[in-house]
Formats: sequence, structure tokens, C-alpha cells
Amino acid sequence: MHTLITIEQINTYITKIPPAPDALKKTLLHLNNENLSRAASAAQEDNALSSYLKTLVNSPIYGFSNVISDIPQMFGVLGVPRSQQVVYNYMLSLLSPDKWKLFKLNKTTFHNLQSDLSVHWQKILTHLKIIDPHIQSSISLLPATIIVSEALFCENIEDVNQLRSVNPIDLNSILQRLCNVNLFDLCQMIAEKWDMGVSTSQIIQASSGLKPSENKNINILGKWMHLLLFYILSKPKYVEAGLNDFIDFQIDYVEDIYDDFSKVMDIS
Amino acid sequence: MRSVTKNGVRIFFPQGFLDGTAAEELLSIDDVNRTVKSNPSMILVSLKKVIFFNTNGLEPFIKLFKIARKENHTAVGFCDYDLKKYNTILKFYKDDLMFSLFKTEKIAQLFATNYDNKNINVLLYNEDKSQRTAMAMELHDNGHTPIVAQSEKEFQEKIDSGTFDTIIETTYLGQIEQNVATRVTGNAIIYTVNAFLDAEIGESFNIDYHFHSLNVGFRLFIFDASKVVSMNVHAMNFFSKLASSGAEYNANICFVGMSFEKTQNEFKNTLEDAGIIFFEQMDDILKNKDMLSELGSSSIANIKQKRVINKVMINELPNFVNATVATIEMMTNSTAVKDAIQVNELSIKNTEGMIASSIGFYGDMDGMILLVFPVEIAKKACELLIGESTEDAELILDTLAELVNIVGGKLTTLLSDHDINVNITLPRTYPNVSSLLDIVKGKKGVQVDLSFDDDKFLFFLTR
Repeated sequence: MHTLITIEQINTYITKIPPAPDALKKTLLHLNNENLSRAASAAQEDNALSSYLKTLVNSPIYGFSNVISDIPQMFGVLGVPRSQQVVYNYMLSLLSPDKWKLFKLNKTTFHNLQSDLSVHWQKILTHLKIIDPHIQSSISLLPATIIVSEALFCENIEDVNQLRSVNPIDLNSILQRLCNVNLFDLCQMIAEKWDMGVSTSQIIQASSGLKPSENKNINILGKWMHLLLFYILSKPKYVEAGLNDFIDFQIDYVEDIYDDFSKVMDIS
Repeated sequence: MRSVTKNGVRIFFPQGFLDGTAAEELLSIDDVNRTVKSNPSMILVSLKKVIFFNTNGLEPFIKLFKIARKENHTAVGFCDYDLKKYNTILKFYKDDLMFSLFKTEKIAQLFATNYDNKNINVLLYNEDKSQRTAMAMELHDNGHTPIVAQSEKEFQEKIDSGTFDTIIETTYLGQIEQNVATRVTGNAIIYTVNAFLDAEIGESFNIDYHFHSLNVGFRLFIFDASKVVSMNVHAMNFFSKLASSGAEYNANICFVGMSFEKTQNEFKNTLEDAGIIFFEQMDDILKNKDMLSELGSSSIANIKQKRVINKVMINELPNFVNATVATIEMMTNSTAVKDAIQVNELSIKNTEGMIASSIGFYGDMDGMILLVFPVEIAKKACELLIGESTEDAELILDTLAELVNIVGGKLTTLLSDHDINVNITLPRTYPNVSSLLDIVKGKKGVQVDLSFDDDKFLFFLTR
């Protein structure tokens, strides 16, 4: 049978998502307990994690003047919430494919995307005066929408393009209409599998712009996250990667925060 | 960036922030060339999902507009904006507004010559009198009924008191005269010609498309010439030849609204001798159902040379069937089973409750695919595109046309893998199958009976 996507494929995909490795679990546990030194020790047990952290934190977007190569120092400079955020970014990068087909991405551009989102999210939370590790790290889950889209649609790129040449449908709607589940539901499943906390799932769901949260605070964060996503995805490298229109921008959902957003991001 | 072609109108859907840094990535040179080459009747850029833009961000679209105007005289513009965006664009381009601004895509479609729904009751207002007049004339020419408010107060009063299908405001009409635009209305194809008709008509008229429309079964071709200023001898010869070559198909060519004030009257006689019929108004044909039926009826008896399905097509049959089956499977998430294949005339056992769609192809090979569905299957197949189940017959037929377009697109890809290049025509839909049976009467083809979850569905390939 020639299908775009079936619920069985989605279930198989979710089942195959590995649980967080032990070293990561320990790192996150210590970060939750705000014990940075033990978290750093746990992180050092995982060479891949250590290497990822070094590359990420020393990328230009973090803006540190000196190279930081020591994990405890790295966690110390970042603090608990942002350390937690980068560890979650690492977890998510484990799910990303070695070779991207649907989107023109590679490991570096995907890491850059994670960093762009994280750094700008931090700006927003500073503006909103929010200091909450779970809320700070919730942004790490957002690129899961991209990874899941890649995984589910990469074998049917031509079909997706044919469909979208006659109807301006986004990938999220295709998934919803065919399988009654959307990309943000799948992100929530990943969050639950990785014990990322209820608030993370709620913010991500609200950030779809399709399911506003009844919790006013969560809903506000959802709006900021939705607008941030499209602010970042409007940048040339992500437009070129084909990310700008994989989901629909819900402009009405974010209109009331746009003026504030443009001030925070210095848009004129 | 997403873009679709609907009713011959190409619409781009940028989203997010258009600030110029991503301009080249948004619309590449290839995108521009492909769009201009496809020669749509109108090019629109929807700003519905754009939250911020500046002149640099709009620049790639303005470039596209300029090229499309220069090459094809295509009507171009932005649509789907609020008052703030409208005023911003007016401010940006106050000295060089060569494109149009349509508040919504629906309003833009009223100005597109391909738009099928005619006679829309429209209330319009623009503070610029020349704009009001230009819009009213354009709408009238396109078969609608415009009511022009002369002041904002009158506009508000009319909104409060009247019942209008569409209200037009915050809309600006740029250069809109178009080249030979094509639209399908029922069993007629309407070409719109403008301004001065000279030797260039031979270049701008898509002769391949015309002949394939004849092969597909269209018999009535109407040239809407209400905006033609004059015609010279080269154009007259072109139309005479066109009429003669259509005679073997028993086709009729009509001219509507052609004024001979600045064209020699003897040209009219020559064209009439070639079989071209002249009417003053479009309604003289389209609203006279008996005449419409007579002029557009399929009469294959007079076709000199019956076209038969050939070996090349038979060899490629698996591609034709696969393109169809794969598309329907993709749209329904269900499996298709081939029940029977036969080479014969189209045979439909039960014509009740069936709807159909066809699409033609031409190029290295030519022919026509017909798909006949029970309404319920068509609805199911279209649910992915519509987003919900619907009983709206018109919407189902429109969506069926989109679906057949996907089949056509898939077929083009599959055939090009075998170095066979074909173009596809506009899809045609049939609310019942009797008109379809007229078209394929006496034509042999390959009929494949298919089932999707036990629901029957029919594929027919012919020439």
C-alpha cells in the first residue's frame, strides 16, 4: 500500500525512541537537586555528552570570550537552568538523523538551531522575569517537531511535495488528518518518555498555536515560544533548510504579544 | 515556501518575518523562472501569515511581479492583509505601485479571468474615484455585479442595509490587463484576449493546450474580446486557421464583445466565413442553455480521424495506473485492489451517484485519464485536502480537481523517469457521468476497475 503515514508507523517510531542513557539521567537528577559538581561528574562519564557540551557552549551564539573546556566550569558558568537546557538539547540531538533528507540540515545547523532557540528563549524569560528550570529547558523539546517530521515524512518527500503543490497544507495538518495525532502530541510523548516534566509538555502543546492552554501563564509562554520559533525559522539558513513552512504560523495567536516581542528581539 | 496553483492563479504563502536577509532563499531564480514559464492568469502573494515585513523582504516578490508583467502581462499582487499592512505597502511603494493589493484571496479571484463563479454581487469602495471606477469596470467585465459606494458614509450605509456576496475595501488595482488567460466553464473553454491583436497572438496563445482540449472533448471555445481595441490581418489569419483546424472536431469558436470600431469590418466577414460566431455579450451564450448545449455538445461522428490508444500508452499503462492508485492510497490510507482490466469503450454499470474528473496530458504522448467515483469515495479521497467531511457538492468537485492534479503531477514524474515528457491540462470535473459518457462515446481505452476497502472506483485511459 502506498501511504504517506499511518498510525502504526507513528507508534513504531515512538516505541523505538530510546530512554535517556544512565549518565544523562544522573546528570539531570543532580541538576534538579541543584548539585552542579555531581552533575558535572556524571556528565563527564559520557564522552559524547562532554564533547557535545564543549562544542555547543563554545559556539559564537553563547558569546563567551574564552574557550571553556572543563565540564564543571561549563556548568558553573551556565548555572542550573541553562545547564539543564543544554543537557536536554543533547538528548534531543541523539534522536536527530545522521543524514537529513526532508530538510536540508546537518549536525551543525541543527545544533545551531537548538542554540538559537535556547539563547533567544533565555532573553524572553529574562524579559518575563521567569526563573524556572523546567520552563527554561522546555525550549529544548521544540526541535523535536522537526526531527519527528523528518523521521515520518523523509521517505515520501515527492508525495508530500505533490500534495502541497495543489493545497497549501502543512505537515502537522497532514499528520492530524491522516492519523488524528499531531507533531506536538508526539513531542509530548517524547517528553513523557524522558520524564521532562508536565509543564514542558504543556508549554510545547500551547506553542503549537492550535491548542491554547487554559492555564494563563502556560498559554502566554506558548505564545512567546510559537512566535520565537517562526522568528528563528525566518532566518536565511533555516528558510534554505526548508523549515520555514513545515508547520503553520498561527499569527492570530501571537498578535497580542508581538509588540513586546519585537522590543525584546530589537526588531525595527 | 509553499505555493499552489488554483484555478490558474499561482499563490505564494510566505510566513513569519520577511526582512530581506532570507530573500534569496525565499524565492530562488528557479522559482521565478518556473512561475513565469507556467504563465498563470494571476500571481498572488498572501500576507496572511506574515507578521513583519520591510521593503527588502518584499523585494523578491516585486522582482517576480515585474518579470511576470513584462513577459506575460500577468496580473500580480499581494493579498490577505490587514489595514496596517495595506497602509505600509502603500507607503513603501507610493510612487511605483505597479501591482495590485487585494484584501483577501477571494477578492483577488473576482479579478482573475479564470474564476468560475460569476455574477457575484459586490459592494466596493475606495477613496480614490479612479480606483473605484477601474475596479467596477474590471468586475463588470469579469461577469460580476459591482455596486460602487461614492463615499465612506454611503459605503457604511450600504453595508448595514444591503446583502452583498462580497464587500471590497482596502483594495488597490494595479496594472491588470492580461494576456491570453484561460478558464473552463462547464463544457466551454473561455480565452480572454486584450488590447491589440496582432502577430504576437501566435506566440502567446497556447496552441498545444487548445488542441489537447479538443482531444479531451471540449467543443466550444469562446474568446472574450470585450477588451480588444483592434485586430490586424495577422491576428485575423490566425483565428481563421484556428477555426478551420477545429472544424474536423466539429468545434465552435465564438467571439464575445468584439468591437469593430477600429478594426476593418471585412475582417468580421472573413472570420464568419471561417465559422466563427460573434456575440455581443457573454451572457448571450452562457445564459442560453439550449445554445450552450448545442454549441458545446460533443459530436465525435464528424471527427475525421479517430484516435486510438497506442502501443506506447499500453507500455506505460502501469505508470498511469500506479500514479492514480498511489495518489488515492496516499489520500485515503487504504489499499487499492485491481478488480478487472479491459480494453474497450468506457462502461459504467451504475451511473447513479457517480461523479468524475478528467485530466489530459500532451507532449511526447497525449491522451486523457478519467476517474469515476461514487460520491462517497470522492468525499473520502478529498478529506485530507479539505480537512473535514463535507456535503458541499461544489467543494467536493473543486477538491476532486486538486486530487486529479496530484495524479497528473505524479504521472508527469513517473513518465519523466522513462524519458517521456508530458504536460498536463487543467482538470475538468463532472457532477454526473452523463456528460462524460458523451465525450468518450465511441472511444476505446483501457478501463481498470478498482476497489478501495470494497468501494468501487474506475480508471479509464484513452486518447
